[in-house]
Amino acid sequence: MSPEENPSDLAPHRFQKRGFSYERAIKYFFASNAGLTIVILALIIIFLLKEGLGFFPGYQRELQVYRIAGLEFVDISRKNLTAHEQLTSVLNRAYYAEINGRCIKQMRRSQEASALFNAYTDQTGPTRDLVLNNSQAASSPNSEMLKNLKANYEQQKAKALASLTATPHLTQMERRDLIESVRSRAVNDTDDPLFVTTLAEEFTAAQHKQAEPLQALRSTIDSFSSAGSELSSLVSEMTESVIATKEKIQGADILEKDRKTLLAAASGAKDPVEREKLMTEARTSLADKPDVEGPIQLLLEHRPDCIKAHTALRDASTRIIGQLPSSLTQLEAARLLKAARHSWPFFIADLEKTPAAINAWKPDAPVPLTDSISSFLTGKDWVTGGEWQDFYGILPLAAGSLMISIVALVLAIPTGIGAAVYVNQFASPWEQSVVKPIIEFIQAIPSVVLGFIGILVFGTVLRDISLWDSLQWIPGFPLEERLNIFTAGCLLALMSIPTIFSLAEDAINNVPSAYAEASEALGASQVQTTFRVVIPAAFSGILAAVLLGFGRVIGETMVVLLVAGNRIKIPDFTAGLGTFFQPCHTLTGIIAQELGEVPMGSVHYRALFVVGILLFAVVLTINATAHRFVNKMKH
Amino acid sequence: MKTISKFFTAAAMISMAGAQTLSIKGSDTLGAKLVPQLAESFKASGNKNVKFEIAAEGSTTAFPALANGTAQIGMSSRKVKDDERTFCRTKGVYIKEHPICHDMICVIVNKNSPLAKLTADQVAKIFTGQIKDWSEIGGAPGPISIYTRNTSSGTYKDWQKLAMGGRDYPSSSLKMAGNEQIAQEVAKNKNGIGYVGLAYSKTSGTKAITIDGIEPVAANAKKYPYARLCYLYAPDKPSAEADAFMSYVESGPGQDIVRKVGFIPVKDL
Amino acid sequence: MFNPENLIRKGLPKGHFKDLVVRFVLAGLTYVVVLIAALLFAKIIMDGAPVLFKAKAPFVDFEFLTAKNETLHVFDDAQGNRHQLPASRYNDYLAKYEGAPIFNEQTYSYSGGGIAGPIVGTALLTIGSMVLALFFGVAAAIYLSEYAKQSPFIHAIRLAILNLAGIPSIVFGLFGFSVFVLAVPVITPTPSDRSLLTIPLHINHYVMSFQGWNSSLMAGCATLACMILPVIITASEESLRAVPQGFRDASLAMGATRWQTIRKCVLPFSLPGILTSSLLAITRVAGETAPIMFTAAVAAKDDLPWQGLKSPFDILSSQVQALPYHIYTLAARIPSSEYTRRAQYGSVFVFLLLVASLSVGSMILRAKLRSKLKW
Repeated sequence: MSPEENPSDLAPHRFQKRGFSYERAIKYFFASNAGLTIVILALIIIFLLKEGLGFFPGYQRELQVYRIAGLEFVDISRKNLTAHEQLTSVLNRAYYAEINGRCIKQMRRSQEASALFNAYTDQTGPTRDLVLNNSQAASSPNSEMLKNLKANYEQQKAKALASLTATPHLTQMERRDLIESVRSRAVNDTDDPLFVTTLAEEFTAAQHKQAEPLQALRSTIDSFSSAGSELSSLVSEMTESVIATKEKIQGADILEKDRKTLLAAASGAKDPVEREKLMTEARTSLADKPDVEGPIQLLLEHRPDCIKAHTALRDASTRIIGQLPSSLTQLEAARLLKAARHSWPFFIADLEKTPAAINAWKPDAPVPLTDSISSFLTGKDWVTGGEWQDFYGILPLAAGSLMISIVALVLAIPTGIGAAVYVNQFASPWEQSVVKPIIEFIQAIPSVVLGFIGILVFGTVLRDISLWDSLQWIPGFPLEERLNIFTAGCLLALMSIPTIFSLAEDAINNVPSAYAEASEALGASQVQTTFRVVIPAAFSGILAAVLLGFGRVIGETMVVLLVAGNRIKIPDFTAGLGTFFQPCHTLTGIIAQELGEVPMGSVHYRALFVVGILLFAVVLTINATAHRFVNKMKH
Repeated sequence: MKTISKFFTAAAMISMAGAQTLSIKGSDTLGAKLVPQLAESFKASGNKNVKFEIAAEGSTTAFPALANGTAQIGMSSRKVKDDERTFCRTKGVYIKEHPICHDMICVIVNKNSPLAKLTADQVAKIFTGQIKDWSEIGGAPGPISIYTRNTSSGTYKDWQKLAMGGRDYPSSSLKMAGNEQIAQEVAKNKNGIGYVGLAYSKTSGTKAITIDGIEPVAANAKKYPYARLCYLYAPDKPSAEADAFMSYVESGPGQDIVRKVGFIPVKDL
Repeated sequence: MFNPENLIRKGLPKGHFKDLVVRFVLAGLTYVVVLIAALLFAKIIMDGAPVLFKAKAPFVDFEFLTAKNETLHVFDDAQGNRHQLPASRYNDYLAKYEGAPIFNEQTYSYSGGGIAGPIVGTALLTIGSMVLALFFGVAAAIYLSEYAKQSPFIHAIRLAILNLAGIPSIVFGLFGFSVFVLAVPVITPTPSDRSLLTIPLHINHYVMSFQGWNSSLMAGCATLACMILPVIITASEESLRAVPQGFRDASLAMGATRWQTIRKCVLPFSLPGILTSSLLAITRVAGETAPIMFTAAVAAKDDLPWQGLKSPFDILSSQVQALPYHIYTLAARIPSSEYTRRAQYGSVFVFLLLVASLSVGSMILRAKLRSKLKW
């Protein structure tokens, strides 16, 4: 890079001699500015690594404590207990679904009546509260104000009565009576209308009646539920002791760290009094090495009990599966029962394996550094700030990011490329001059504005649409959560369409016109030319556009933070296409949500930087691949 | 030499964040509603030249900010932990605790839910994910959606201790940025359940649940199972502005605002 | 019009129907996008425009633009009139009608007053970061277009620019937080404990301490400048290269030095192009939230940045409110009700108006420039 290599600089003209060093200084000034980009990139990498790499040893230590304190041991049993609770819940749901299904008519009637009443109170509630609050405020009984409020209330009441929900399961007569009773309600009446309560009572009575023939099932479920109580009490007993141990170990760790920081602060303190004070504090905070052997031995004494509880639970479970009815009459109930029956063998198999696992568990088995890396990369839980144990598993976040990107790209690729093809090949110049700026202007919309629209408008609209009867065939409808993968994906699609559109349009534009001309000269129609000649020629450019769109989607933060629903869980893929309507959390979202809140330098803080490193690497790979395609097109 | 030292003085000023501003950081429960209003009425009561910066990201953020001197007052909906206190200590900050109000964590459900009361055991089972469907406890059938605060919140941890017996939240729970957002989502989801501070329990579209027969209203604060104290933390040698603000908060007018916003003044219990 | 095709083909060509369908589908896709965009703008304009514009002169609600952001108090007085007052006017009201009872009071954070703080904060952030980015970016572009020859160094720079352009904004947030907030050097007599390294300077106990600038306007500007740098460099280089080679050759032939050539014959002609394309960069800087979340932005601050300062430097070292972060707060932290709509949609409308005017401005300028500068 030395200028001597440049032939023009080798022998400067003597007129230039005086300005020579000056010129060179200017040149180096500009060069150093250009070099700044490299410096920034290097700084990004260095600082991400500096903060991030400390994560793995820190997490290793946490996992070590998890093992030494015996939390891991308790979790072996707890896993089965949780599975037992889940199974109980499924059976319970099946039971209630059966009952509710059998008295569906009463349920519908009761629900419709109360829905009608609720819709009415929703609308009139605020004005009614005003009337009530102010007639109670005896201190200043202002009649004029009260009159105003009452008039308001009446107005709102008339409006609400004019737009009541449909009640297909109530007779005309009943509906009219109900509306009449609502109309004639006193302002300060707090009870539900008589008809609503009657229907509710009828429903309860029907439930009781339908429960009669199902008593066998009820007692089976109850006996299954109580079969877990032995294990449950054992687990909670052990939980208390291991938490105490863990706190002791962590306390010692903290004290040790404190001592070091206090000593460091003492050595830095200028005031001798202050220094002495800090030194004394440091000395007193010298921790005894916590005793972990004793509690662990006590814990391990529970082994036989644990195994016994597991065997008992297994025996009970094998017995109970035989007592369950083979099927239930109601569709939903039968589905749930089938699901329970399906997972039952796995549950029993797990229970059978557990005693071996309990016996094999060793508190002093080492936790290698690779464990912390692999449990980060393949961990299924991201649990932080909890009482029990923090886990940093990337999978739920990565899955969320990926699912959102899939939705966004599935929507954006056809529209973006389709629009590009249309604008470039088919549109009149007038259309081009209108459509292009509009689509390009979408790019200028800040992402936080899209997130705002998503949370305030789009999510609610989507949920209302999902309640339409004509759309119930779509899996996942009606929506459980208004903020979900699909909501976020739609907004991100809108964001990435301009990127894909303009890059794809460029790519198509760059195809030499001779190709199209030759094709047309051979008699091909315009559509044939476009799809058989132009698009194949621009293919790698279009692919690059798609990849860059993907890079944009996966790196986007504000929309997913606001709209994705923030549930840190791998989506439940058994729901089929309905999976796309579940909430999730993302790689970018978790950084934005948690970075401002975690103590600096903690393991959690560092974990967020590791997520950043991962994101950085993924996006760079995507972009590098895209640019390779672009370069390929140029040649 | 003189000019150089002048330059350095100027440069040093850059490094000192404006000292006359009163920066308050920490809990969302306190910082989203109560503290801004306290600040505004504090200014209205003749302290016009004090500048406030309020960031309410969660109780956990209060103590590092106090330690680093980026905040003069920390808000927390839970007691300071020992390690946080020591951390501040190592940075030369002795923090002093000022209880400012009582709060009750209220369980809220959608207004149209037929449920009005739950037992503490049912609440624990719902929030730990053992009960997944409303029909299991006598509601209209529908999968339960749990809305919780995010992990840095003091309420998140308090709730785990008070209501869930220390067990973890299920992964199916949705993490929300603040009390208002929980209330808003519950108001929009007929199968939703969540917890909020007392001041947010009257949000339209939601209703607060009676726990073990005790209604979550201020009068029941002593009996209610999920009640707690909220604190402001300040260094033991606060700046003049911080000191004035703290004494305003603890004074009669300050505590009136506490009551008005929906918390329970310290002296009421 | 005479069409030779008519001579060859009689009737509709084979596959004409298919052609039409394809065309129709593609047009449909295009206009769906346009329609969605139109709906989006319509929604924001419908809800936001009434906040900013009034039917009466002067037609613009300047109060919304110039008032500070406060808590909104909603209450009824004894006559049953509903008042919506920001905190300062609410306190005035209380003082004026002392003892008069008020009923049904509700409060909404961040919803009262105007959005002067966020607007000013965004303006400061934008100006600061653009000044930095333009200075370094244009200088780098001059090197790339005027001095650089093929070399590994240039190759590395181009690679770095390409990579920087693709980094997600949240990673810039992490970077800004760990570098500008926590690690860059400051000169101070009292180094902080978290300082990475202190170098004594032997002048009045001053040391250079690598402890960062805290969350401040400076840190935010620097982060945003790093983010926008690749865009500025690429755009500036393009404008510089658009200046015909003949200008340079002529100047050099007259005996001018390279720097004189650049200063007199290249920069003046490329400057309009550089400024136009940097307008587009401004829209990006003004719209980003993720990089400033941890480096500069604060949710509530009751004075404008320049009020109550001891020294002018304080403005750089204090946190600011910013429009995008304010919108995030309004979307995530407060309920949406009839009383908060004004703040919510008003802020979004003003923000969108700002961004739209910038990007439309840049489009128009670019079109003008293209027709004017033709060599």
